Amino acid sequence: MKNPLRKRIPRELKSEIGKYLVIFLLMLGTIGMVSGFLVADGSMIKAYNESFEKYNIEDGNFRTGEKVYRGQREAMEEQGIKIYENYYIEEALTNGSTMRFFKNRDEVDKVCIMEGRLPKTTGEIAIDRMYADNNSLKIGDTLSSGDKTWKIAGLIALSDYSALFQNNNDSMFDAVKFGVSVVTPEEFDSLDQEKLQYNYSWIYDKKPKDEKEEKEVSEDLMKEMGKVVTLENFVPRYQNQAIIFTGDDMGGDKAMMVMLLYIVIAIMAFVFGITTGNTITKEAGVIGTLRASGYTGNELIRHYMTLPVLVTLAGALAGNVLGYTVFKDVCAGMYYGSYSLPTYVTVWNAEAFLMTTVIPIVIMVLVNYGILHHKMRLSPLKFLRRDLSGKKQKRAVSLSPRMKIFTRFRFRVIFQNISNYLVLFVGILFANLLLMFGLLLPSALDHYQLEIQNNMLAKYQYMLSMPVSILGGGNKLDSLVDMLLFSHDTQTDNEDAEEFSAYSLNTLPGKYKSEEIVLYGVKENSRYIQADFSEGVYISEAYAEKFRIDPGDTITLKEKYEDDEYSFLVSGIYDYTGSLCIFMEQEKLNRMFDLGDDYFSGYFSNTEITDIDTGYIGSVIDLDALTKISRQLDVSMGSMMGMINVFAVVIYMILIYLLSKIIIEKNAQSISMTKILGYTNGEISRLYILSTSLVVILWLLLSLPIETAIMEVLFREMMLASISGWITLWIDPKIYAEMFGAGILTYAVIALLEYRKICRVPMGEALKNVE
Amino acid sequence: MFLEIKDIHKSFGTGESRIEVLKGLDMEIGKGEFCVLLGPSGSGKSTLLNIIGGIESADEGSISIEGEYLADMTEKKLSQYRRKHLGYIFQMYNLIPNLTVRENIEVGAYLSDHALDVDELLQILGLTDHQKKLPNQLSGGQQQRTAIGRAIVKNPDILLCDEPTGALDYNTSKEILKLIETVNLKYGNTVVMVTHNDAIKDMADRVVKLRDGMIRKNYLNEHKIPVVDLDW
Repeated sequence: MKNPLRKRIPRELKSEIGKYLVIFLLMLGTIGMVSGFLVADGSMIKAYNESFEKYNIEDGNFRTGEKVYRGQREAMEEQGIKIYENYYIEEALTNGSTMRFFKNRDEVDKVCIMEGRLPKTTGEIAIDRMYADNNSLKIGDTLSSGDKTWKIAGLIALSDYSALFQNNNDSMFDAVKFGVSVVTPEEFDSLDQEKLQYNYSWIYDKKPKDEKEEKEVSEDLMKEMGKVVTLENFVPRYQNQAIIFTGDDMGGDKAMMVMLLYIVIAIMAFVFGITTGNTITKEAGVIGTLRASGYTGNELIRHYMTLPVLVTLAGALAGNVLGYTVFKDVCAGMYYGSYSLPTYVTVWNAEAFLMTTVIPIVIMVLVNYGILHHKMRLSPLKFLRRDLSGKKQKRAVSLSPRMKIFTRFRFRVIFQNISNYLVLFVGILFANLLLMFGLLLPSALDHYQLEIQNNMLAKYQYMLSMPVSILGGGNKLDSLVDMLLFSHDTQTDNEDAEEFSAYSLNTLPGKYKSEEIVLYGVKENSRYIQADFSEGVYISEAYAEKFRIDPGDTITLKEKYEDDEYSFLVSGIYDYTGSLCIFMEQEKLNRMFDLGDDYFSGYFSNTEITDIDTGYIGSVIDLDALTKISRQLDVSMGSMMGMINVFAVVIYMILIYLLSKIIIEKNAQSISMTKILGYTNGEISRLYILSTSLVVILWLLLSLPIETAIMEVLFREMMLASISGWITLWIDPKIYAEMFGAGILTYAVIALLEYRKICRVPMGEALKNVE
Repeated sequence: MFLEIKDIHKSFGTGESRIEVLKGLDMEIGKGEFCVLLGPSGSGKSTLLNIIGGIESADEGSISIEGEYLADMTEKKLSQYRRKHLGYIFQMYNLIPNLTVRENIEVGAYLSDHALDVDELLQILGLTDHQKKLPNQLSGGQQQRTAIGRAIVKNPDILLCDEPTGALDYNTSKEILKLIETVNLKYGNTVVMVTHNDAIKDMADRVVKLRDGMIRKNYLNEHKIPVVDLDW
């Protein structure tokens, strides 16, 4: 015979439909979202991974100042590689962005057509799909630069540009102001050939087994290539951010989403545990009778666990259906909003099913079993006597009779519901952390932009385009000659201009990935950099924060493509967050790198320099360039923040609703009795709801410093994982007020519902037998 | 008369399952009177008590206290009525489990502008030593004494007692009855007590016997005896 207790389950479900529906919907939403994300993530990672073979993505690329001749090419190919031309030309477009033009590719780094077609004739162009989205461009629109115009024939994804990094050293890709495109060979030849970049891709004849071997092979390759040609740039695939950034990021997001799911499930499991515990207290007499009649503790545990597990199972299954249908597209849309990914095919993801169905149920079973097992450990007699304290005698916490009875009453309510409030605290902490993140990122990015604007080294930083031989060449004499010539042609009469030297070194790979550090050599008594360099070097605040360097520390950097290492004593932190850099005396820098006494790399200036040939100006670092990171993060994560905020508020509401509901239900008889005594609904609410209100206010306030501390760690990890460079965590004080306000407002809605619930408690409740 | 009950009807359920519990009751209780409602289970005595207490409403008829009719009162006014005039004692005590003895009594005291002194009352109730205990640390008798304390601390005009000794042993029951008698004499409250213990009628000023929703007997007790002399 089946256990007759199971007949109670549908009745219990019906009588508590509000509670179970709310939990079911939360599970459905969370599991649906995470499942959709995991399916989209898995499918897209698969498409991304397969794209290496499908589109024959390069194993690396290098750039030379001049065309590589056949002999040189053959010499390099002897190192076990095949080299492909992948020339490009960059043009500034009239819409304010920069477009990198390639010829149609058909051997390496092939093109995925997302919409439309490849260009067939001159005057046609196929542009990156994400760049098009960000600039509101569609097929049929035109792009122009100077007197040239191109009609968009297709939207594409270039397999070697899933993240639109213009330069591999850029802190962040920029899919708003930088785009890639392909045109016909004829069209390519009609572009300004002065700007032609001799870029080459290579494919290994025999692929390295792993990244370690890839690193060794590529380092050897670079040395060998350096003997044949003068390298301007050398980027093996494992270092190419335009290719690998997307894959790294997708993996990181997955861990975050799964963690989010488990936290929600664990919180819900505790909510279930508390509600079931409350039911056990209410039904103690029945349980005692059943136990005395021969029902085992485990039979009753199974009975009380059935509904939570069934609701979780239903939520998980329905959530998975929703995940595979609706949310998958939403999540894929988020990826397409950030990355230039090729098309994907949805694949069944067994891991996602395990993570979103099996593990949540396991968590639910474990937490509930733990709580129920603890409750059921008492003897049948204890249940019959309704003595569930478990301890000898539960003593009352002493409260001074001098306190008003209402105050003491509220304290008693708080003491009675301490476990509910502890779960509520965890819930508030979690929900508020999400809310903080949602509110913080846009404000941190705005603040970053403002800070950069306010403490730029100079309004303009002109980086002169130096012959490669000065920096990378081995022949010191040639370097000197080139440098003299260069110095002569790059003089300016602008009185604001101040020369500086710059040199790039990399951090040593270790705990953090190797990053480029720019060394600025500045003049004595510089108008733009005020620091005393007698003791050592100054590092930018961004550098100090990211690598946690303090004055007095010694830092060691290395040449990017060589083994030479340099050490610097840090004597101070310079208030500059725009990039990771070092400031030192120009003379010292020039001497350290054998650049010659008169060498300089560019100018700081607060006014525009107009008397230097633009051909000599490699780049201008202005506000636009410095705020690239924040702009891109805003584009790719901005839309997500709204969703995170809504999710946070929903979680917060549900938790407060469920837990305060339990408190009212637990005290229904007392509430009824106070009504009989003559207390008004308002007074009773002041006793029961105000207790929760006070706790909510306390928890909201208490959670703020904890959330700040957690956010500092999370934000740091996020910045370390997702960007080169650094964005300082900035929590606008307004955010605390917004979080607190949102918490109180949300609670006010729930308090109103609870007030209605108190009004509805019948006086007859007190007349019932306590059962 | 202080408390006038006229033609009270009350039924529960609808259609075929409708049961008429009170079938037209008339009675009066004087101020300071100790009235015992006697009757077997299902006779309607608790329902009548609840209607007097304003917890339930009558289908027909009226109840007035010092000329004020309960039926005319709004929910808010009923609350005020209970607050000012009534003290309630139940068989199952209905103490607030997370408040101490003293705090449970103070919950009652809060409702009155002329509450009795809590310390003095604790002394009378014999609960001074237990005032810091929670209800689950008390015996049944101590819990009921606390419930009495909560009911009388606001010095109500009427004390409604629903089987106050129903869950207690002989000695404790006598202790509780003694306490109610003391309260009635000391503070002059009108006491309406529901019981099925026939012996208790001897301590009452007025005895009302109910059966099948009707008053079978209603008389003043000419030979009232003190609780100490009661036996059953």
